[in-house]
Amino acid sequence: MSSSPTANSSGPVPAGAGIGLRSAHHEALVRERPAVGWIEVHTENYFHDGGPHLAALEKARELYPLSLHGVGMGLGSAGPIDRSHLARVARAVERFAPALVSEHACWGSQDGEHFNDLLPLPYTEEAALHLAARVREVQDVLGRQILIENLSCYLEFSSSRLNECEFLSAVVEHSGCGLLLDVNNAYVNSVNVGLDAHAFIDGLPAAAVQEIHLAGHARRQVGERTILLDDHGSRVPEPVWRLYERALRRFGAVPTLIEWDTHLPQLDVLADEAARAQRRLDDVHGLAA
Amino acid sequence: MDSLPEVQSRFAAALRGDPGAAAADVTGDGPESAGRLAIYRNNARAMFDGALERTYPVLRRRVGEDYFRQLAHGYRQLHPSRSGDLHWVGEHFSRYLAATEAGTGYEWLAELAELEWACECAFVAARESPVDPQALTGLMPDDLARARLQLQPSLHCVASSFPVLEVWRANQADGDGHAVDPSRGGQCALVSCGADGLELAEVSRTALEFARLLQSGTPLGAAVEASGLDLAELPDVLSLLFSRGLVIGVTAPAMEHHPT
Repeated sequence: MSSSPTANSSGPVPAGAGIGLRSAHHEALVRERPAVGWIEVHTENYFHDGGPHLAALEKARELYPLSLHGVGMGLGSAGPIDRSHLARVARAVERFAPALVSEHACWGSQDGEHFNDLLPLPYTEEAALHLAARVREVQDVLGRQILIENLSCYLEFSSSRLNECEFLSAVVEHSGCGLLLDVNNAYVNSVNVGLDAHAFIDGLPAAAVQEIHLAGHARRQVGERTILLDDHGSRVPEPVWRLYERALRRFGAVPTLIEWDTHLPQLDVLADEAARAQRRLDDVHGLAA
Repeated sequence: MDSLPEVQSRFAAALRGDPGAAAADVTGDGPESAGRLAIYRNNARAMFDGALERTYPVLRRRVGEDYFRQLAHGYRQLHPSRSGDLHWVGEHFSRYLAATEAGTGYEWLAELAELEWACECAFVAARESPVDPQALTGLMPDDLARARLQLQPSLHCVASSFPVLEVWRANQADGDGHAVDPSRGGQCALVSCGADGLELAEVSRTALEFARLLQSGTPLGAAVEASGLDLAELPDVLSLLFSRGLVIGVTAPAMEHHPT
């Protein structure tokens, strides 16, 4: 594969449950073809010119609608936007024609050094407008709307003047982006920084929420406090399922993804977790019918 | 109120190892805010170390987890990540090891890193459609000597003074991890990636030089002469290049377009 052919769209992501696809599951996905509605991959893992992973995603996208989820733009970084990185995102979008493209409400680099993590922003009007301007820039380059995901946080900035919901709403208002609601992140933040997760879900602009993420988390003791680490390394815990049900009641049946990145299990475990999400989505469909 | 660049600058200082730099920006008492900042500092280090480990699995296996972490820590001080794409963080690791391991008896780690980096690059490179060896048949001897062979962009030519190819092979999933006798001497490898994954072929030093010359656009005859390749070895080397799909084009004078 030497060029970047423009692919036909992988088809719309259904309002059903999908799974995050990692390279360890490339072969199993094509072989087993689990009954999941769609797949999502980290955009940066498919930046290259060729190789088996790119070929595997070409096959996978013929079987399932695809979403590209970026983890490396650090759109809220105060320094200049990384245009070479954005160009690679654009090339991946052109190559794979995903149904959804998303990134995070975070920053990631300073003075040329990248920390390769999703770092939290202070919830200020300045930061919201800065992030919104960057999102607009990305959308202009890609020629399409992107979704921005709420972050998991381990701390709060004393300079924050908005709550997380107000911050994200401002980004949506000033950029025209959609939202990717990570329900696990909302739950993690409720424990870590006292976010009112119910009020958060109830307050988000409903029309903007076009995708939901679900995942597991780990616990760590920091001094006297228990902190939840968003490690995507286990099944979705019960409190997150309950919050998800609340989100479905508010937003209706929204495409929902099971994310699993550490302690990766067999593919059938992910498919089983997606089936649990699907049952809840079906209940919402049932209510709507 | 401090600006976004100021807040991020102090946060970045905390991530680089100055935990007090951002303490005042974070709510909560001192020990707790330091503990919370430490989560991010540890995450950043883990992301870097993890990416380096994925690029250099054999080196990691040979030196053990503790020493690999030490190496990664020192390397990150000099070569922090410069991209939101973690794939490239290991780009300078071989040169770093060549400097830090000089005179320690572990100079071979730099050569092993060079081989693993070649594997990493080959694995993600574009793969062009190979041409058939028939492309060379029918050429008159003079045209054959002047023919240029274009090789796969994924092909990397690696030479070492220590038998690192044997080390690499012994430490694959199906390898037995056996100790390698350094007296075996250096090795040369053609590293490429086929449809099923990495392909490493051991070749002679002259064959490696021959391949390098072909890569740089040197005509076949001149490449044989300059590399010192024994003519008796030429058929085997060409056979290897064609059978692995490493030749993607043949340009002979007779095929070239000459304007009239």
